[in-house]
Amino acid sequence: MKQGLPPPRTAVLHSISDPNSGELLDRGLLLWFPGPQSFTGEDCAEFHVHGGPAVISAILQALGSLPGLRPAEAGEFTRRAFQAGKLDLTEVEGLGDLIHAETEAQRRQALRQMAGDLGHLYQTWSHTLTRALAHLEAFIDFSEEENIEDGVLNQVDNFVRQLQMEIHSHLHDNRRGERLRSGVHVVIAGEANAGKSSLLNAICQRPAAIVSPIAGTTRDVVETALDIGGFPVLLSDTAGLRDTHDIIEKEGVRRTRERLEQADLTVALLDVVGLLEASNKLTHLLFSFLEDLNVRQKQQCILVLNKIDLLHKKELNDLHCALKKEEDLPTVCWLSCKTGSGIEEFLRVLRAELEILCGNPLLGMPSLTQARHRSHLHKCLEALGLYEYYKRADMALAAEGLRSALASLGRITGKVGAEEILNLIFRDFCIGK
Amino acid sequence: MLPRRFCHCHRARLQFLSTRLIGQNVSGDQYDVIVVGGGHAGTEAAAAAARGGAQTLLVTQKLSTIGTLSCNPSFGGIGKGHLVREVDALDGLCGRLCDQTGIHFKVLNRSKGPAVWGLRAQVDRLLYRSAMQREVCATALLNVREASVEDLMVEDPDASRPGLARVTGVRLGDGAIVLGRAVILTTGTFLSGSLKFGTSSVPGGRLGEAPSVGLSLSLSELGFTKGRLKTGTPPRIRKESVNFDKLEVHHGDERPVPFSFMNAEVAIEPSQQLLCHLTYTTPGVEDVVRDTLAANDHVQQDTKGPRYCPSIESKVLRFPGRAHQVWLEPEGLNSELIYPQGLSMTMPVEAQVALLRHIPGLEAADIAAAGYGVQYDYLDPRQLHPTLETRKVQGLFMAGQINGTTGYEEAAAQGIVAGINAFLHTRSLPPFTISRTEGYIGVLIDDLTSLGVTEPYRMFTSRAEFRTILRPDNADQRLTERAYHQTGCISGARVVTARHIASRLSEGISLLKSLCLSSYRWKQLLPEVGISQERSGHMSAFDVLQYRGVTLDALAAVFPQDLVPFLDLSDRIQVEALYEPHAEQQKLDMEQVRRDEQLVLPTDLDYLHLPASLSIEAREVLHRHRPPTIAAASRLPGVTPAAIMHLLYFLRASGQQKEAGGPLVER
Repeated sequence: MKQGLPPPRTAVLHSISDPNSGELLDRGLLLWFPGPQSFTGEDCAEFHVHGGPAVISAILQALGSLPGLRPAEAGEFTRRAFQAGKLDLTEVEGLGDLIHAETEAQRRQALRQMAGDLGHLYQTWSHTLTRALAHLEAFIDFSEEENIEDGVLNQVDNFVRQLQMEIHSHLHDNRRGERLRSGVHVVIAGEANAGKSSLLNAICQRPAAIVSPIAGTTRDVVETALDIGGFPVLLSDTAGLRDTHDIIEKEGVRRTRERLEQADLTVALLDVVGLLEASNKLTHLLFSFLEDLNVRQKQQCILVLNKIDLLHKKELNDLHCALKKEEDLPTVCWLSCKTGSGIEEFLRVLRAELEILCGNPLLGMPSLTQARHRSHLHKCLEALGLYEYYKRADMALAAEGLRSALASLGRITGKVGAEEILNLIFRDFCIGK
Repeated sequence: MLPRRFCHCHRARLQFLSTRLIGQNVSGDQYDVIVVGGGHAGTEAAAAAARGGAQTLLVTQKLSTIGTLSCNPSFGGIGKGHLVREVDALDGLCGRLCDQTGIHFKVLNRSKGPAVWGLRAQVDRLLYRSAMQREVCATALLNVREASVEDLMVEDPDASRPGLARVTGVRLGDGAIVLGRAVILTTGTFLSGSLKFGTSSVPGGRLGEAPSVGLSLSLSELGFTKGRLKTGTPPRIRKESVNFDKLEVHHGDERPVPFSFMNAEVAIEPSQQLLCHLTYTTPGVEDVVRDTLAANDHVQQDTKGPRYCPSIESKVLRFPGRAHQVWLEPEGLNSELIYPQGLSMTMPVEAQVALLRHIPGLEAADIAAAGYGVQYDYLDPRQLHPTLETRKVQGLFMAGQINGTTGYEEAAAQGIVAGINAFLHTRSLPPFTISRTEGYIGVLIDDLTSLGVTEPYRMFTSRAEFRTILRPDNADQRLTERAYHQTGCISGARVVTARHIASRLSEGISLLKSLCLSSYRWKQLLPEVGISQERSGHMSAFDVLQYRGVTLDALAAVFPQDLVPFLDLSDRIQVEALYEPHAEQQKLDMEQVRRDEQLVLPTDLDYLHLPASLSIEAREVLHRHRPPTIAAASRLPGVTPAAIMHLLYFLRASGQQKEAGGPLVER
């Protein structure tokens, strides 16, 4: 927002853009409550935005990138309101229960997340950072009177550098956090004329792509933004993969491969008739096809066998049996874009995959949590930068960097107190006076 | 340095004083404040109460031991130096006395940033003790008496305040009763103290001094929860038996930094100051420790010692195969003794001799007094208010090792807070407390009173959340003015000095902020500073001072007329500039902590049956720790934001019965 503050306590329609990129995020209602006439007695602003997780997540992230702003702790607004004498008893009682519910939900959610790979990753970071801080604190508090081994500071540097790298790449390479903002990238790919565009149209229920029986009809990537079962999806139809001398088609194939690199989920499409012809080396054909599509994990792929209307029932049954034995294949869907048979089942599978990729929003607003996490991780990185900046000039300020990095991470993984730092110091170093 | 003449004169006066007191009809004695114990906590407590205007009596078993350094002959260090500075800012004694009697000053952590500098001094044991005795005698309203205190006199409590009883005085060893409106216990390691030498154990608080057993019993009768801790001290070695030739020499600072804000320099010339030496243990030491374990009860018993290793035994047992540092510290200008810092031990004397043989420089060391261990009672400090008054007995205060701490500085810090509050108590004035956002003293007392101790508590800078603001250089600016206003225990001269510095500091800083030049000009004037070429626009001299390598002297060369008058404050101004960019965020965080600290929890809450929606876990944690404030409660593991909300709700609800719509109980 570039203009000044809106008039107090008046709802105004406003466009909301990212303060860094200038990108328009949403248009929504904005309410400005200057203190002390606000819920907490402090200056407050309310954003009423469109409810999609993508919009909310984008706005939270944009807000979190502003200096001095961070997500509130559980119950923090109420606490501040209470301290400012803004709440009467019944209100506090009700809110107390609400906060209880809120924190309970957060606890459950945190538990769910902490049980997974992501939780494990955060915990590892927290341990590394705690050790780095303990070593630095030991160096500050004891190195002049006790023999703290040389190289303690180098070790702290190494810990910090490793963390910076890992958190940085986590924030930038791993798109998990962004999926809900820009949608899950689903790419339909396969050989020429397997029916990719037909499948896209079947999913969209409108002719988004031109279809024809001529192989190589689709030469560029056709993108469609969709809502599938409540999940934002960016669906791409691509040029069929084949060797070609046509310059335009060649470029199309290159773009297809590029898109496959970035895909969250690949819908690998095959003409089932082709399979029948290669029945003796079926497995080999399927796996080299998937490899060609850059499918590295079977979880990131749905294998769709199209044109089942062209096969006899017996042929279909034989193929079914042959593929059933292959455990390493992705989920297989049999369908015919022409007759529409199997499309419903395919959409069900697709929804299930999306649910896994995004997390179920009914289980406690993952977008909110993710935005929270990203914001804390960004703050953590910033604070590690402070360490780097001060490490040779002023240890107290350098340690301040690590302390606030740990506090940021602690908002995800749980607080680490001074006692735990001291425990580590006394475990790792011989200190006595 | 201390004139000898004065010492004699002062001893004579002490003698006189005690005769005079003993000759009086003791049964009629009545004081405002009675301080039991004459160590670092006791002397600070007694002097602070007397400065406020309280008729004060300091009772000690032996007049001649007032101000004794029972263990190491040094003051300060990292974190501890902060405490000495803060005690000094509250007009305490120890900082000034160290400046008078220090024989080797060194600021530790020089390279690590001024926020964590550790002011430290070796002091002359004898000079320090006599300087302290002289100070105590010279303090108006402060009387001393040689006696043991056997019992506390209590009556029914003042119904308007929390507490089960009210202290009215003490009963001495000879049965005499001395009345007092406040009593401060600073008994150190004397409470049921016992000394450990090898496998033998004798009752005692310090070598050659009897423990306080009666007092320990009467505290139990009053229902105080006690625990037991242990500590130890190294053997003292005859200087002439040490071979210093091959040892690493350590000099003090060329320009000693005084502890006290009242002193521009220390008393003993740098050229007259003494050296310290450093040596290391060898594998032979480890063998001696292991071979004599069976004859070393102190190490084997499970009374809690610190996780950090104070004794050489625990060092080699927990970290075997290493060379451990041993500092050889002088005990005084004319002392024949050396204090081997790092060699605290409790093994039999013969083994101590054998052990020293394995340390370079100490091969022929002659032990003048053997090392020994001490086990003593402490009272769970969670039974204290942040004023150090006990929750159970009104007017009864505790300070020092009795609260589970270790160290002279920690003791002095508690002593001064207890003394000030005992005085305020006798005048029914509001208490004076220091928050964790205001000083290391606040961190110390908050940790003690809200979390309790499981090992002797020692101050570390890592315990302070707001370390870049709670610095040794600004202790006077943090504490003196407020203490002057709220306590009356600060002398006029002290507050005048602090105010003068405050106004000149702010004058100097605003001047620096007003001296602006284009960044281009700054780059020309100070090419070596490395102001970014990208940088454009104006920069103030204060901004420039934040760059590494820029000194106020360099800036004064640019603006001589303006800045030369402030050069005497250059150190302090420079530190302010260094930490200013970071101070904003810290101040916001401090504000939050301070607000939560304002929300006081009643001391008699029955958490287990409180009609509030609290989980069983939260109830148990709160019941165990009895946090004095919401801030302390929210630091306890297991107390969730929801629990805090319900607690606030309950408080507001019950508070309303007394005062409709009023604020929560505020400190």
